[in-house]
Amino acid sequence: MSAPRNNPIVLALERVSKTYSSDGQRVPAVADVSLEIKRGEFVLLLGPSGSGKTTILTLLAGFLQPTSGTVRLLGKSTAEMHPDDLQRERARSMGFVFQNFLLLDALTVLENVVIVQEFCGTARTEARANARRLLNRLGVGHLASRFPPSLSHGEQQRVAIARALANNAGIILADEPTASLESSQAGEIAEILGRLVIEEGRCMVVASHDLRLCHHAQKIIHLRDGHVVRIEKKA
Amino acid sequence: MILYALRILRDQPFRLGFTVGGIALCIVLILFLAAVYRGVREGSIDYIRANEADLWVLQGSATNILRGSSILLQAHGSVLENVEGVETVAPVFFLLSSVTIGERASTVYLTGFESRTGLGGPPRLAGGRIASGEGEIVLDRSFARKFGLVLEDTVRIRNQTLRVVGLSEGTNMFVIQYAFVTLEQARNLAGYPGLVTCFLVRLKDPADCERVRADVREDFEDLEVFTHDEFLANNIREMESGFLPLLLVLALLGAVVLTIILSLILSMNILERRNDFAVLKALGSPRRTLRVIVMAQAFILGWAGSLAGFVAIGPLAGVVETLAPEVSTRIEMTMLGATFGSTGLMNLLSSWITLRRIRSVYPLEVFR
Repeated sequence: MSAPRNNPIVLALERVSKTYSSDGQRVPAVADVSLEIKRGEFVLLLGPSGSGKTTILTLLAGFLQPTSGTVRLLGKSTAEMHPDDLQRERARSMGFVFQNFLLLDALTVLENVVIVQEFCGTARTEARANARRLLNRLGVGHLASRFPPSLSHGEQQRVAIARALANNAGIILADEPTASLESSQAGEIAEILGRLVIEEGRCMVVASHDLRLCHHAQKIIHLRDGHVVRIEKKA
Repeated sequence: MILYALRILRDQPFRLGFTVGGIALCIVLILFLAAVYRGVREGSIDYIRANEADLWVLQGSATNILRGSSILLQAHGSVLENVEGVETVAPVFFLLSSVTIGERASTVYLTGFESRTGLGGPPRLAGGRIASGEGEIVLDRSFARKFGLVLEDTVRIRNQTLRVVGLSEGTNMFVIQYAFVTLEQARNLAGYPGLVTCFLVRLKDPADCERVRADVREDFEDLEVFTHDEFLANNIREMESGFLPLLLVLALLGAVVLTIILSLILSMNILERRNDFAVLKALGSPRRTLRVIVMAQAFILGWAGSLAGFVAIGPLAGVVETLAPEVSTRIEMTMLGATFGSTGLMNLLSSWITLRRIRSVYPLEVFR
């Protein structure tokens, strides 16, 4: 179940701290965190609200720069990358799954999956065919021409996962992907995310407090008040 | 991306309608002012442009007939006729004159000319014939329409009754219109039998212009002599220094209002879709994509409004000319092309203003 030892490191935090300023006071969100995440690894950031899960996720995505330490994406320091290069790399290598799905309501399900491929210059015909294939695989192919607001939450999250996979991204970052779902739907989504790692060797980093995801994770990072309190590795 | 821009617009049909309508109104305003500008400009100089005189001879320091006065003696004409190379000398008498139509009164730019030569007469006739005898007058067509006059109707100037024998075109200066009578009639009405305003000179050989001008100036130091082109340019310059620039300023204000409307609507669309733009940024959308989305909206709105304005301006100008015949409008393809092009620039400017707002949308917002 664990990622092969010789798999390359795709994401890394090296002694990363992030501090916010609020009302003149410095509030540490993440303190001295070091992590290595390999291809084919399912990493679960687990902890209560305010523990720093989402901050770590946004640091990994390069949306935030650390106050100190280094974040590496495919070996390159995100701080040293030009914003346009980082954005390009993000479109190519990363897929995102959000708590509230965040599909574009003005576009159909199919168009939501096509649009991200256009960011990478994929030809429209190819993008549409790829989008249909992904939607079918996730069991929502029959909804391709519908608009997101007419879908159930579970269906919307499946579409969001299809969108995250559209550019064949090696890294999937998911922020509370099951939090807005009913129990049965949440279980299905957790299954899908787990399968993506096992069957396709993608790297999955999930920030959540949903213990159901522990079953699929190979590495569980327990966070509290911005500190890593324990790293649990599964054999 | 263009599809997404279209969907954003389609999702708010009322706003789309109001926006396109607002832009169309701005375009109509701009086009109408430009059409009036063009109509007045051309109407004011048509009389001079169509004149076949090679030289215009006026009193010293008079440079135009729109806002300049010139008084010459008829006797000057006899001397001019004797200058070598001169073929015809036609005296013309201009007089701002009150005219009574039934119970109503107005003012015309009364022009007395010799029907023998035709020089100084109406550039074109829309009906009837030129005035060739006592008690006859040719009125500008829009003036006649304004007062409901037709051929054979009568008007009164200084207690003399004049019968309308013709209707002219190219004689509407917007604030006033030309009216044509014989030279003798004009002088009698003015009460100055031996005076004229200027002489129109035709040459045997138009290439002799400079020599004849020099000869006339040698004979009469107190006269101004202009070639046809010079005199036309003088009058255009004089007219453009009047109220016409005001029309252009108003048209410019219309363009500014249009840009502001468009920028506000686009910004509103962006703010309402702030989360979508944050998602697009988070998913790795390149800057070009966001630019295309905003610019597509701007161009769809701007050009849809322009086309609606183009469709509306013709009938609107017709209505205005029916209600106020003296408001002469001239809509030309170049004008429509220039407006379409200008709208493109306004679309770009509005997009640029809106894109600056998108800079403050951060992908991090989607993680809140």
